[in-house]
Amino acid sequence: MVETLQNLYLGFSIALSPSVLIYAFAGCIIGTLVGILPGVGPLAGISLLLPASFGLNATTAMVLLAGIYYGAMYGGSTTSILMRIPGEAASVMTCIDGYAMTRKGRAGPALAIAAIGSYFAGTVSVVGLMLLAPPLASFALRFGPPEYVALLLLGLLALAYMSGGSVPKALAMAALGLLLGMIGIDPMTGYFRFHYGLVELGDGIGVVPVAVGLFGLSEILLTAGQSTPPAVMKPRLRELLPSRQEWRDSVWSIGRGTVLGFLIGIIPGSAHIISSFVSYAVERRLSRHPERFGHGAVEGVAGPESANNSATSGAFVPMLALGVPSGPIPAVMLAAMMVHGISPGPLLIMQQPDLFWGFIASMYVGNVVLLILNLPLVGIFVNLLRIPYPFLYPAILVFSVVGVYAVNGSVVDVWIMAVMGVLGYLLRKFEFETAPIVLGLVLAPMLEMSLRQSLALSSGSYAVFVTRPIAATMLGLGLAILLLSLRPVFTRGLDWRRRLGLESKPSLGEEGKP
Amino acid sequence: MRIRLLATLLLLYLALVPGASAQEPFPTRPISLVAPFPPGGVADLMARPVAAAMEKVLKSPAVVVNKTGAAGAVGMSFVANSKPDGYTLLMALSSISIIPEADKLFDRKPAYTMDQLTPVALISADPTILVVRADRPWKSVKEFVEDAKKRPGEISYSSSGVYGTLHMAMEMLSHAAGIKLKHVPYGGAGPALTAILGGHVDTLASGPAVILPHIKAGKLRPLAGWGSKRVAALPDLPTFKELGYDIEFYIWAGVFAPTGTPDPILKKLRDTVRQAVQEPDFKSAMTKLETPVAYLDAPEFQKFWDKDAKMLADAIKRVGRIEEKK
Repeated sequence: MVETLQNLYLGFSIALSPSVLIYAFAGCIIGTLVGILPGVGPLAGISLLLPASFGLNATTAMVLLAGIYYGAMYGGSTTSILMRIPGEAASVMTCIDGYAMTRKGRAGPALAIAAIGSYFAGTVSVVGLMLLAPPLASFALRFGPPEYVALLLLGLLALAYMSGGSVPKALAMAALGLLLGMIGIDPMTGYFRFHYGLVELGDGIGVVPVAVGLFGLSEILLTAGQSTPPAVMKPRLRELLPSRQEWRDSVWSIGRGTVLGFLIGIIPGSAHIISSFVSYAVERRLSRHPERFGHGAVEGVAGPESANNSATSGAFVPMLALGVPSGPIPAVMLAAMMVHGISPGPLLIMQQPDLFWGFIASMYVGNVVLLILNLPLVGIFVNLLRIPYPFLYPAILVFSVVGVYAVNGSVVDVWIMAVMGVLGYLLRKFEFETAPIVLGLVLAPMLEMSLRQSLALSSGSYAVFVTRPIAATMLGLGLAILLLSLRPVFTRGLDWRRRLGLESKPSLGEEGKP
Repeated sequence: MRIRLLATLLLLYLALVPGASAQEPFPTRPISLVAPFPPGGVADLMARPVAAAMEKVLKSPAVVVNKTGAAGAVGMSFVANSKPDGYTLLMALSSISIIPEADKLFDRKPAYTMDQLTPVALISADPTILVVRADRPWKSVKEFVEDAKKRPGEISYSSSGVYGTLHMAMEMLSHAAGIKLKHVPYGGAGPALTAILGGHVDTLASGPAVILPHIKAGKLRPLAGWGSKRVAALPDLPTFKELGYDIEFYIWAGVFAPTGTPDPILKKLRDTVRQAVQEPDFKSAMTKLETPVAYLDAPEFQKFWDKDAKMLADAIKRVGRIEEKK
């Protein structure tokens, strides 16, 4: 413990030195912007700025890049809450209840809770990273393909809690998402599937253009279709802060989201994306009033936003403790280390204490910076809603197109976004929910890859899923949840779904009217 | 002040608009070096110091452009189909020879053909090395091959993807040694490394730079290298050639121009790269990346490429379409 404190002192002496501090600051600001810009997520942001970091020394480069990563998680919630446009994939769930809160005039509290939840999650998870990195990292590596399959199946169960309306409709949407996820190169045989001659479709359909199209563009189209424009909201200052009730509702959600996000984040691969989906499902499952979800439940913002932030620290665990490129973003950061002549490996913490402890301390500092940066910004961002729709929406459209194009420099992505916008419009007119499509699209490629890897490893035997303890435990857990949620079907008790079914549902596009 | 501004604008105009003179100077505008993989990947990490050094030699900007997608096919076909004026160049890896061959195998319309690209210079060529987990029993290639012969299809390896470079290296070894291994493809070299460190597979072929720290930490044990010479960082590690297997495989990176680029411009580019690899900044960048420079000028590079492409084509044909081999 004393040693940790000494190391931490060393770390802070590095992180608070002006030359490092300024890059932590820069990283956080760039990250926030990257998060706000629809389409451009942390991976794209870090990739675009990686070359700029080559001129710095290793520690400042890492501090800058990490700042972009978790800064993006703060910024990502902004457009989700205000305009129903996910700034990056991990903010998709925030669109649902965050935007519903905006429609009720509670945009300020939603943004504040998102920032505070992110701050809490960011800080607590760095403690976890600092104290538990080496033992946790070895555990995380035991997550092989079979464990991944079990985890993703758990993620798929989140579906049951994503829709407030008709279950068959939600399942149909999830199926559509899973089918869209089948587009691209078959990972085991190299065949192209459903690419229709477009090389760009070889990598499959990206989550971001689909999410921006389904959520953001469809919202713009729906608004355009209304006979009278929605009233411009004029937020008052005292409405910027969360009410006591909102605080009480979100405290535990933030705590649960933090732990959940960290645990999912340490697993190598792209599991961190599903942390916010799983967190949303957990909050809805545990809530005493699940019917509030989808209509502006503050827990639906607090949980996922905390989860996606602590997942970022989690993702650094295998990277720093073992030098393992545990996901796309850690892989880019490891490349940044290599450019500076540091070979990332299991001896990194021992050989580069300055880098490791400076990095850790900078994350504490960075989270404080982001909180200070984001809370006053709430007031500014909320005022964006004052802009009349004829000006606001075309501007959003432009930013969406630019953002989605910037990620891969691909016009195909922009077309995907446009098609998804129209699809989202039609689906929402018919009262289908679009979030399950995104979940299906996120899960399908990962699930396919890990399922087929598992079967390749086991030479085709499905027993591999029950003989490996972690996988078996998770599958058992999933089965238990499934049976629990099916219970009302057998007992025919008054399920919240039925209660909800009795309520008259406002037709789409009307819900924002006062 | 005003006059100076006008003069600058005039100069800028002259610089940007190609003159009518017959002997047009090259370059008059920035050169873009396309890396067909995302920032942080091998192609990108090689392209950046090369572009920086070319910029110094040419005294004219050279920028790296990442055009990614479909395992590099998007960026490579972009350069293959761009105007052959020397302003759009490609930093390609060994996979440049794999994609057209795989397209042929699947009767696909090829994204590009190899004769659409002309080699300028080879920058680096790192042999892959065979590593096994330290807790596995094999101490030498001999023990490994004997065990693999006893248990065909049971020893597993991870790769960067089906028909990817790491898959091809292992396929060459399996063919030369007459063994059958279990292939588990992953989505990239990073996840493949994570898989062996997590103990989900037994062995992996990998470039030396990323694997060295894990060898030093005692997590992985190297058995042999695919190079014609031993790897400098691992002087005790034998090559497969020394052990009697006639295989050679490198993860290489080289600069290409679209075919049809005029000879004077091509010559200028070759001269530029030759000088660029001598730049001290370039050398130090490569040392930091633990990647030795393996410069070859166009004629020798063409020979190297032809041989490498033939080897890869043979390996792909041997693997064949995966479905058909039930």
